[in-house]
This record gives sequence, C-alpha cells and structure tokens, in this order.
Amino acid sequence: MRYILNWFRRRKMESDLDRELTYHIDRRVNDLVEAGLAESEARRRVTLEVGGATQIREEVRDVWLARWLRDFVYDLRYSARSFVRNRSFTLTAVLSLALGIGATTAIYSLVDQIVLRPLPVAHPERLVLFDWNGAQLADTFGSSNLMSYPMCRDLQQKTEFFDGVFCRALTTVNLSTGGDTRPAEAEVVSGTYFSVLGVKPVRGRLLNPDDDRAPGASPVVVISSDFWQREFAGAPDIIGRKILVNRYPMVVAGVAAPRFFGVDVGEIPLLWIPASMSAQAIPGFKGMLNRRVRWMQILGRLRPDVSAVQARAGLQPWFKAMLEEDTRRADFPNASAEQRRDFLASTLSVIPAPQGHSMLRKNLARPLWVLFTATTVLLALACLNVAGLFLARGSARQREISTRRAIGASRSRIGRQLLADSILFAIAGGLLGIEIAPVAVRALTASLPHDAGANGLTASIDSHVLFFALAASLVSGLLAGVAPALQAGGESLISSLRDRAGMALGGIRLRRAIVTAQIAFTLILVIAAGLFVRTLSGLLGRGPGFNTSSLVSFSISPDRSGYSAASATQLEQRIADEIRMSPTTESSGIVRVPLLGGGVWANPVTIQSDRRFATNDDVNLNAATPGFFATLGIRMVAGRDFSEHDTLPVDQGGQRVAIVNEVFVKRYFGGRSPLGAYVGMGAAPDAKPNIEIVGVVRDFSYRNVREQGEQIWFPAGMDDLGSNFYVRYRGTAESAFQSIRSIVRNADPTLPINYFATLQEQVNLSVTTERLLAALSTSFGTVALLLSLVGLYGVMSFVVTRRTREIGIRLAMGATRGAAVWLILGDALTMIGLGTAIALPCVWALGRLVESQLFDVKPTDAVTMVAATVLLCSSALGAALIPARRASAIDPMDALRFE
Amino acid sequence: MPTPRFPIPQGTLDMLILQVLSLEPAHGYGIAQRLEQISKSVVQVNQGSLYPALHRLEQKGWLKATWKQSETGREAKFYALTRAGQKQLAEERKSWARLAGAVQLIFDEGGAR
Repeated sequence: MRYILNWFRRRKMESDLDRELTYHIDRRVNDLVEAGLAESEARRRVTLEVGGATQIREEVRDVWLARWLRDFVYDLRYSARSFVRNRSFTLTAVLSLALGIGATTAIYSLVDQIVLRPLPVAHPERLVLFDWNGAQLADTFGSSNLMSYPMCRDLQQKTEFFDGVFCRALTTVNLSTGGDTRPAEAEVVSGTYFSVLGVKPVRGRLLNPDDDRAPGASPVVVISSDFWQREFAGAPDIIGRKILVNRYPMVVAGVAAPRFFGVDVGEIPLLWIPASMSAQAIPGFKGMLNRRVRWMQILGRLRPDVSAVQARAGLQPWFKAMLEEDTRRADFPNASAEQRRDFLASTLSVIPAPQGHSMLRKNLARPLWVLFTATTVLLALACLNVAGLFLARGSARQREISTRRAIGASRSRIGRQLLADSILFAIAGGLLGIEIAPVAVRALTASLPHDAGANGLTASIDSHVLFFALAASLVSGLLAGVAPALQAGGESLISSLRDRAGMALGGIRLRRAIVTAQIAFTLILVIAAGLFVRTLSGLLGRGPGFNTSSLVSFSISPDRSGYSAASATQLEQRIADEIRMSPTTESSGIVRVPLLGGGVWANPVTIQSDRRFATNDDVNLNAATPGFFATLGIRMVAGRDFSEHDTLPVDQGGQRVAIVNEVFVKRYFGGRSPLGAYVGMGAAPDAKPNIEIVGVVRDFSYRNVREQGEQIWFPAGMDDLGSNFYVRYRGTAESAFQSIRSIVRNADPTLPINYFATLQEQVNLSVTTERLLAALSTSFGTVALLLSLVGLYGVMSFVVTRRTREIGIRLAMGATRGAAVWLILGDALTMIGLGTAIALPCVWALGRLVESQLFDVKPTDAVTMVAATVLLCSSALGAALIPARRASAIDPMDALRFE
Repeated sequence: MPTPRFPIPQGTLDMLILQVLSLEPAHGYGIAQRLEQISKSVVQVNQGSLYPALHRLEQKGWLKATWKQSETGREAKFYALTRAGQKQLAEERKSWARLAGAVQLIFDEGGAR
C-alpha cells in the first residue's frame, strides 16, 4: 500500500532526497574547510567519501519501491507510451481481447446467477434437497424432485441429521389487493420455511409451524418486500390488511426481508402461503395430507456436524420402514407385483443444494455451460491473435531488443518488458470487456424464455463477476504475452544485429504454431455453429405439426376465481359458444392441458387389443373438444374425430372414446390399425381398458416443439371442458384479439386472461434455447473465422517477405511461377491440415457436452463436419493465396538486388 | 592518517541509528558525526548505506522526518524516533545483549582450555 503511495509522491521524495544529500555534502565540505583544507581539495575528498550520489539515490529508491515493482511500473509506462504511438495495433489487440473477455464475462454472469450462486440466506452450504429414486406410485402435480407433504413432516422429526426441514411448491394464484384481479406467482410453504432458511421479517411476522398445523387453519400470507413496495407503496400499516387469493380472503401477516425471492432461481414469488391453505391456493387440490400425492420439493438444513452423505445413509433404515408401512396403508394404490417391487426398491437421496431448487437451472445449465465453453474457446482465440500480433511486432522490434541486450539488459528483463505489454493490453481489454458485458447480459436475458422467469436475472456486474473478469483478463494477458516474452532474445545476438534488412526469423515457428491452434479452435466453433443451426432449422422446418398461421390461444382459470367445477364448465361453454359465433372466428376448440407450455398430463395406460398389456412408460394424455384437430389443421390419418355425441356423459348415451397419434400406433400396435382396440387409465391389474380407440391423428407437438411422443386424446365434455382456447381467426390478429377479449369480459368482468398469444409466438418461445445457441454459436464461429484468417494471412505475408530472396533465386534458376505459389501454399496447407487434425478429435470429445442440445443431428454429424471443414479450408486457402500470388510475382532481379 | 577504522557490522547500523536518535533528533550528517564521535572514531559510517538505512527505517515507521532549521541556519531533514522506533530499539538492545553475552561465553570457554 505504502509502495503505491510512494509512487504517486515520488517527485517530492526525489527533490527532498536531493536536498538532504546536498546538505550533507555541503556540511562536510564546510567542516573540512574549517579544518584548514582548500575548498577544491575538500570537495574532492568528500566526493570520494560519499562515493557517488547516484548510487545512493538508486539505493534509497529501492527502499521506496521494491526494485521489481519499480521496473514493472517503468515497463508499464514504456508500454503505454509505445501503444499510444502505435494506435492501430493497440486498437486491434485491445478490441479483440475486449470482445473475448466481454463475451466470456457475460456468459459467466449468467452461469453464476443461474447455476453457481448460493441462495442469499445464512449458511447456504448446509442446505440439501431430498429426492425419491424409484417409483413413488403417487399422483404428480408439478415439475421435479416432488414429494408429499407428510414426507416433509416425517423428515422434520429427523433432528439427529437436520436443524430443520421445509417444503415448498410453486403455484400461480389469482390475486386481488382491492383493484384488478391478476395472476401472481406464489410459493406454498411449510411453516418451517422461513426459520430453516434464516430469513427475517421487515414488518410483522413470518410463517411458523403453527400455520400449517391443520388444513384451512391459518388464512395468512407473507408478502415479498418488493411486492410491498410496488403494490402498497411500502405502507406502514400493511400488517393485518386483507387480500384475495383466488377470491379467498387472507390476511397479510408479515413482509419478508428485502432481496429474498424464495429458493427457486428465476422465479419471483410475490407471496408465501402456508401449506395448510393449499386447498385455497390451488383450487380443487385436496392432497395436503395424502402420502400418494407428490407436489412439493423438500429441502433441509443439515446439522453442522453432519454431511449429506451421512444423512443419506442414516435415513435409509427409516425410509425402508416407511415404504413397507406405506404399502399397508389404505390409500396405497392397487399395483402390479412389478410396480410394488419398484416401489419397495426406492431410495432417498440427499443432494447438497446451496443454490436451492430451480427449473430454470435444470433447463439452462447445460446450454449455458456449452456457451461458456464456446466463449472460452473464443477468448483463447483472441489471446492467440494478440500473441500473433505481438510476435509480428516483436520481429519489427528485433533490432531494438538486440540493441538493448547488447548494452546489458538481461533476457528475462526484456521478457518482462514484453509481458508488461500484454498485461497492459489485457487490463485495457478487460476494462472494456466489463463495459460490454452488461449490455450482452441484457440482450441474453431478453432472449431467454420470458415465462422461464428470466426477469429475476440482473445485468449488473457484482464483485464475484468482476473478479472473474479481471482474472480472465490477467490470464489472457499472460497467455498472449508468454510466447513473445519467451521468444525475446532467444536468438543469437550477433546474427540479429547483423541482420540489416530486419529479416530476423521473428519466431516464425511460433507464429505457425499459433495459427495452427487458431485454425483448430475455429474449426471447433464452426462445427458447433453448424450443429446448432441445423438443430434450429430442423426444429423450425418440422414445426409443431400443425398450421400456426392465423391461430391464437388463450387461457382462463375460473377455478381460481371462486367458480365450482360445474359453474366453470358453464362459463367456458358460454365463452366457447360466443367465440364460435363471432364473425372474426374461422373455427375454434378447447383443450384441457395447453400445448407447447412445457407441461403434460401423463400416465401409463393399459391396452386391450388381441391381448392385454400395460405400457411401461407414461403416455401423454389430453382432452379436446370436437373440431379441435380441424382447427389446428391436424389431419386424421384413420377413423374419425370426436363428435358432440362423444362428449355426453355415459349415462346419457355418450361413449367412452379416444384418439391416438401415429407414434402411439407405431409403438404399441406395430403399425397395425388400432381402431376398435381399447385403452384404460393406469397400469395396475385392476385398470379397466374400456375406452375405444376411434381415430388416429398425425403426430404433433404437445409439451414442446422438440418432443413428439405417444399421445392419447379424450373428448372434453360437459363434466370438465378445460380452459385453454384455440381460435383460428379471420382478418387481422388485432380485431380477433379485441373481439375475444370483449367476449371474456362480458362473460365475467373480473376474470383475468392468463395468457394470450399467437401460436407462432408460442412456437418461437418453445425454441428460444435452440435459437440462442444457434445465434451465439454462429456469431462466435464468424468472429473466430475472421480472427484466424487474419492470423494466417499475416503469417503467410511474413513468410513471403522472408523468403523473397530464396524465391527470387529459384525463379532465376528456372522455377515456374506455379512452383513459387506452391512453395507458399504448401506451408499454409500444412498448418490448415494440422489444425484440422487437432480439431476433429476435440469435436468428437466435446460431442457429449452438446448432444442433449441437438435435435435430429448427431454431434459427429458427417455432413456438418465436412461442410465446416471445407468452409474453413477454402477460406483459409483463399487467405493464403493472396501472399502466395505475391510470391509468384517476385521479380528475380529485384529480389536479388534487395538488401 | 587516523588508525584503521572498522566498517559497521552488517545489520547493526539500523540499531545504532535508533540509539543515536533516542538521545535527540538529528539530521543525516549529524548522525554520522555523532556515531564517529561517540565510538571515538572506531566505527566508520559509510554514507552510501546511511541514507538508504534512514529511509528504510522511515518507511517502517520507526523514524519520523521533519524539515527544520539546522544549527548552520539552513533547512535540514531531522529524524526523530517514533513510539514504534523506541520499542524496536528496546528489542534490538535486548537481543544484542544476548548475542554479545553468547559470544563472550564462547570466547571464555575457548580461553579456559
């Protein structure tokens, strides 16, 4: 620290030292003169005694600032001066580093926020997530790592392993604080939630175990600090206010600490509802105390002296006993022997979860790591490029360096000087990169799927990311500088001083190695870009399997607005009728589970054709109204669509019928006609296959665009219509939107519309990750290609200049111009070939990383590999051809006179 | 010419400077003079190492320097001991005493044989 201070006040210190030494000398001279010496003689004596003021000054300076540091600072100043003189060189180098560092930092910022960062709670490292491995034989509501609420209660008793255990489930409620009703994210949690996480209230109280003692016991909510500020303007009397959750009155009990957004990165719940109120928070849900309903994630806090592994081992005996006990319970489903065996073989995992539980992370972790790898490769390329530039400049500076060595600079001293150059570059590039990164992060989060909760991500650079960026810059600086530094003065001093034409070897071998590495890196990036572009175009080319033009969908949730099942169906029927009658409607249909929404209704089924068997895997199920397939333009391959007759209850003359898709027929009927066969829900021995298959439809996307699995469709009828409307409209989208909105408003003015989007938009949303990967990898590939072409061109030009005389002699001796071109091109071809030979095995090794992100194309896809290699080789040859042609144009006379 | 003089042993210059300054603040030239006087010209102060040593002690915070009028009327840089410097001097005296004692013991042992 003092060193730094000394550096800034060194001018003052220097002049002080001068005065001090002058005073000393003058006094000594004075004393000697008084002792009787002549003044000139006295001065001579003193000079001898003191022995060189310069020497003293140097030694004192070493005290002020350690020698190496002082040299380093001088080096930096020297570098800075030479950079200012050499603007275009500096600009190129700094920009390429800034680009690399900026891109890497931006992606790292997302990796950090989504994948790495622990929750902002006390001791996040002790948090664990429980997971059930094996068949749970339970009804499923939700995404992943799901368990029942009684499991959480059981685990709370295991105080020998845990300081506390809580459970939570994310849901959407219709919320009204007095004004409009609108959908809002909420977390249904156990009473232990806040105390286990160690979150404090800023107002009122948080939930406690009393709040989920019994179903319906505690109609209170805790709201987030953000919501309190935004919705209630931070009103001090917030505690005790009533709000309506799904039309059910609840009381605000407290406000959670600021910046606490739950345990799910990417989701921002506005309020927390005790599990005891789950029936109100999730209309129609009655599974709170049911062990065979899994709907919550369970997390715990390990005791400080217990590891996750110990807890897992310690829990197994209890877990096994619980499984046995479960099979004897009255609510245990009638399962086949095999299912029962699977159930009893289940184990309980205890997974360290300092980052909580996040679907966004589950979905994006892999793509983010892929992108991070790509940016790292890009950064390495930028470093290589700068190293190449340095070497090029190094050869121009060869004479300067040789001169410095000749007057006594050591090799390491000159190497350090060159390293200072590159570190200065890296710092400049890093600072610029840090400026670029937030812009890139904003652009990236904007392109993430909106409903995946990308809003929770920030573009600001925190200390963690800043540290990463600086470390990346420093490492890049060292990487870029180490080759030229080693190179410095590596040659014979005499030969380079003698070399007048500045034609020293200039690290040509090193530069070749760098270009080879660049070509290898570039090929990897170009192949990756090719794979992702093919994935995206493959997905978009196949599409969702239905016609998306002039098609719009929206959904309502009458159950969240206090409607009973029967009155909800009435309302939906009324809205459906009016939409069908509207002049802007071509046709319309309703389904129970929305398409492309990421969720499915899935279950194993039992099939009865010429034999009876159960499917091992889940089949995707859904229900639709008659005319739904026609509305989406999905062709019937065989049989018939549902009729109005099918939708009637069985006791009123309706039939139990189903429509399956082609994949289903292919898998379970081996392509034979399934018409007339029967299916039944569930795989248990008592399942009743009494639903007749009456039709087969073309395959189309259900969960997302990627997946086209086996599907069974049932008629959506009077008992449960569903609330996801699909409308093919006439005229403009605007007029259709308006007429639909007014129809819904007329039916119930307080009923919010959950979402309203064209199917084209939804398809685009469904391929966001693929689009992101394709767009980014393409731009990375392009930048990489440009960088390495410039690198190759530079080296080849240099080679031609170096070999001018040799080529001149060859030409004079009768070599053809073609031979001269080949002389140079052969050189380039070696580098290109070597680079390709390095890259292809790397691609093969990296394939595993990207495999899951690809669609319809293998990571070692031959077409992509060949196309990328041809693209790279041809453009590289093009770049090498320019200097090669110059070689052939050499005039032997000029070449020999040269020098 | 005066009798041959000893250069100050390695590492003891700092201690001697602290000792001289513990009597009263002085400037560089004064310190050199006083060291020669007190030791009856036995030790020889090399100016080449005096000033680096002064600056080193100042950097360590054991000395504080101020520009003041000297006895000749010109401004000179006067060094004074800080509290940390006094502590350091006490330390060094102790360890010097131990070292000297130890050396003496070794000599005595040799003499007894």
